[in-house]
Order: sequence, then C-alpha cells, then structure tokens
Amino acid sequence: MTEALNILTRGFVRENPVTKMLLGLCPVLAVTTSAINGLGMGLATTFVLLGSNIVVSLSAKAIPNTVRIPSFILVIATFVTIVDLLIKAYSPELNQALGIFIPLIVVNCMILGRAEAFASRNGLWYSFIDAVGMGLGFTFALLLLSAFREVLGSGTIFNIPIVGEDANTLLVFALPPGAFAGLGLIIAGLNSLEKKRGDK
Amino acid sequence: MRPIITLTVVGLLSAALLAVVDDLTREPIALAKAEMKRKAIEAIFPFAFDSLKTVKTEETAFYEAYDKDMNMQGVAVESSTNLGYSGRIEILLGVSPEQKIYDYKVVYHLETPGLGDKIDKPKFKEQFRNRTLEDTDWKVKKDGGEIDELTAATISSRAISDAVVRGLEYVKEQYPKPTEE
Amino acid sequence: MTELLLVVVSAIFVNNVVFARFLGICPYLGVSRKLDTAIGMGFAVTFVMTIATAIGYVLHHGVLVPFRIEFMQTVMFILVIASLVQLVEIILKKVSKSLYNSLGIFLPLITTNCAILGVALISIQEEYSFVTSVVFAFFSAMGFILAIVMFAGIREKLEEADVPKPFKNVPIGFISAAILSLAFMGFSGLVK
Repeated sequence: MTEALNILTRGFVRENPVTKMLLGLCPVLAVTTSAINGLGMGLATTFVLLGSNIVVSLSAKAIPNTVRIPSFILVIATFVTIVDLLIKAYSPELNQALGIFIPLIVVNCMILGRAEAFASRNGLWYSFIDAVGMGLGFTFALLLLSAFREVLGSGTIFNIPIVGEDANTLLVFALPPGAFAGLGLIIAGLNSLEKKRGDK
Repeated sequence: MRPIITLTVVGLLSAALLAVVDDLTREPIALAKAEMKRKAIEAIFPFAFDSLKTVKTEETAFYEAYDKDMNMQGVAVESSTNLGYSGRIEILLGVSPEQKIYDYKVVYHLETPGLGDKIDKPKFKEQFRNRTLEDTDWKVKKDGGEIDELTAATISSRAISDAVVRGLEYVKEQYPKPTEE
Repeated sequence: MTELLLVVVSAIFVNNVVFARFLGICPYLGVSRKLDTAIGMGFAVTFVMTIATAIGYVLHHGVLVPFRIEFMQTVMFILVIASLVQLVEIILKKVSKSLYNSLGIFLPLITTNCAILGVALISIQEEYSFVTSVVFAFFSAMGFILAIVMFAGIREKLEEADVPKPFKNVPIGFISAAILSLAFMGFSGLVK
C-alpha cells in the first residue's frame, strides 16, 4: 500500500510532469489563459493518460519490441480522438477554447513517456495509480498557472470578476509572453520553497 | 511477420472503436453546434423567440426569428471583415424587421486580449443599438464618423463597423422592403 | 502571390510557432543549449514538417473527407509522422552517413514534436490550398529555426550570467523566452 501511495503522490510535487520533468509544455503554455481552460485541458489529458496506461499495461507483453512505440502512439491517438469527440459533443465551449490543443494531446510527451517508462513495465493497478497521480499533478500545474494568469491578466478567477470592470489588469499575463514568464516564476517559486524545506 | 500483424490488429481495433464512438457522438455534436448557434442568436435579440428559420445564400446565412404566431420578430445575419488587427473577425448581427440594429456578437476573432477583444463588451456594443444603415455615418470618430472607437484599439473598432455595415447591407439585399407585419 | 507572401511573413514572425502558437516547446527547451545542435534539429524538423503537411493534405482531402471518416484524422496524421520519421532515418543511414550522424539523434524526438502535428492540423483547419499548406509548413519550420537559434544564442550567454539561485537553468530560460515572445508581439498587426 505504501508503494501505491508513493506512486500516487510523486506526480504531484517531487516528479511533477510540468514543473519538474518539463513534459507536455505546449498545452501548459497555450491554454492557460483562464482557470476553466486549464482545468479542462488537465482533465482531458488525465483521461487519455488513464486510458493509455491501462491498455498499455495490459497489452505490453503481447506487443513485439520493434513496433512498441508505434503501437503505443496508436493507443494514445485512439483515446485522444475519443476525448475530442466527447468534448465536441458535450462541451462545445471548451472545444472552442482549447481548439487544436485537444488533438495535440497525442504528442504530449508525458503520455508516451509514462506508457514507455512505467505502464509497459508494471501491472494494471500500479499503472492506474501512476496515471491518476501524474494526471492530477499535470492538472494541478495547469490550474496553478492558469489561475495565476487569469487573476493577473484579466482580473477574474473562473470567470468571476475580482476587480472592478475598469481596473487596469496586467494584460501581459493574458498574452503569450505572460505564459512563459508565469511558468518561469512558478518554477522558481517552487524551487525556492523546496530549498527552504531542504535546509531545515 | 509478428510486428506487422500486431500493428495491423492494433490499428483495426482502434478504427473499430473510433467508428463506434463517432457514430454515438455524431448526433450530439450536431445538436451541440445548433445549440451554440441558438444561444448566440438568443443573446443578440432582446426578446425570446419561438422558432428559427435558416436562409442560406451564397454570401451569408440569415436566421429569421418568429414568435408563436409566426410573426417575424427579427433577423440575425452572419457577417465578417478582414480588417481586424489580426485578420478576420466574424460577427452575428441581429436586426429588427425595420432593419434597426438590436445587438451583435463576435463569434470569431484573434484581436489582442484586453484591448481589441473589447469589441465584444456591452460597453462598446451599446452604441450600435437602434442604428440603421442609412441614419449613421459608419466611420469611427477619429475618421470623422459617429462610432466611438475603443482606446488603443481603433483598428478593431473600424473593423467591427465594417462588419456591421456589411451585415446591414446583406439584410437590405435579402429583404428589400422593411417588413411591416 | 501576395496571399502566399502574407502566409510566409505570418508563419515566420507574426504567428511564430514557438512564441505565438506555443508549438514545439519541448525541443525548444531541450536542444537549444548549443547553437549547432539547434540548427541540426531545425533542419530535421523542416524536412518532416513540410512533407508531413503535404501528405496530410492529400490524406485529408483524398481519403478522410470522401469516406466521411474525419474522426480518424488524429490517428492517421500521427501515423504518417511516425512512419515518415522512420523513413527519413532509414534513408539518411543509407545515403549520407555524415548527415545521419548529425541529425540522427533528433529524429526519434521529432515524432512527439507537437509543432509538426500542429502545423499539419492548422493548415487543414485554415482550409489552405495544397500549395499554401506546403509553403505554410516550410516557413513555419523556418520560424521554428529562428526561435531555437535565437534562444540557443541567449542560452550560451546565460551559462555565464550570475542568475539568482531559484531561477537557475529552467526558470531563467522561460523568462528569456517571455522577453523574446514580447519582442515578437511587435510583429502582430503586420499581416491583415
């Protein structure tokens, strides 16, 4: 059980796919203009990760080494298309906001990375937990960055205004440069937090 | 041989699964699209309508809104411009049977967030209410017209004016005489 | 002709893949430590991106749309890219050992470079013609090269800079990218 707990929690901070491993950064930067979008992208990615980790852990033994990567990519692409269709059908607003980055979940290196490094070598249960941990860690990072950008850039959080309509917000955080700067600041912040904890 | 067979099997399974999901979601997707359009149209009319009739022409599409007794209450028209700061802007423009503007909604744009995207804020849109093609000088104030431009987003403001005029012209063409029902 | 020119300027500057569209960030950070590896990666990407977009166009309009199986788009495109990368690897190995040695290590990385799939999907979404798609893909790759080369230059200097501890390595990289991206925003509005 401790092993399971360990797998579950490491995706959050210690091996957070975004802030530590720097994986899957394109959607992290692109869709984090509002907290809703960040959350939606995080959950969509988690779903794909869950699906691919489960299928890969169950079928890894049956797949010959030479076509391992293409087969994994196929599995991932299948789950991505399912998510894509579901979002189009049941949340057209989210579909409009995330746009091309939904199909691009396929090339999120985090998912292929987990399939290759973890799910193909571990059983169903651990792979499942790994996907939950990593997925939530990814979602957490997206949520952090998108909330940061939405509050500073648009003066709202989850589309709820927190400053007056005419207040001047730090627009740059809603724009592309703010994505890079925001992520840089967050990683630096986490680094210094970790450092402080390590000193004690 | 085994690698090829494996890959083929994986591919076939994937295609089969997706065909099923596609089949299941085709209808909900079409419904969601129609729903989005309806919501956009509802947002630009100050009244609740009973039914919509779509009229497609070569250039654009009209959505006629009717009440319970099939009286036309207004028309929404798709219009667009390429004069935006970052290219194309698409709007949905709602007008009364007398061809006075109710409101419009920006459906697509790439204008700068926080500056150009204020073209979709009520504060800017209000000034278009009740104007007609003929009674207004559609240039922005900076160019000697009647439209208040947004601070730091004159180009976006000009573009919206252009799209609105275009929409009004489409309506005028399609409904030559103001309907008087 | 003007339309093509606009696509070119837009692809390189205004909607730069890295700074405006956020595509290809992983290789942008990963291989931009050294100038010459950055250039090598850039050319490998250019090659795959242009051909993948061309094949993607044919596939979309020749197979997916006529058979009404648009939902297979993502699956088909990623397969095209993956096999293309394999093909390039095999051909390079046979034809030019030296080129293979300099580009070979980047090739497996390219499959998961989202800029390639992204550009192929964008050109479908924008309903570009075949020629426009190819031009768009090629010059998007040029935009990518411009971004990673500029960044590699900055990074080589950063190695020697005295950066506050929590900002070392990655965070300062992002901050520099933010400043570059800010500079690229100056191009917006250039293309109507």
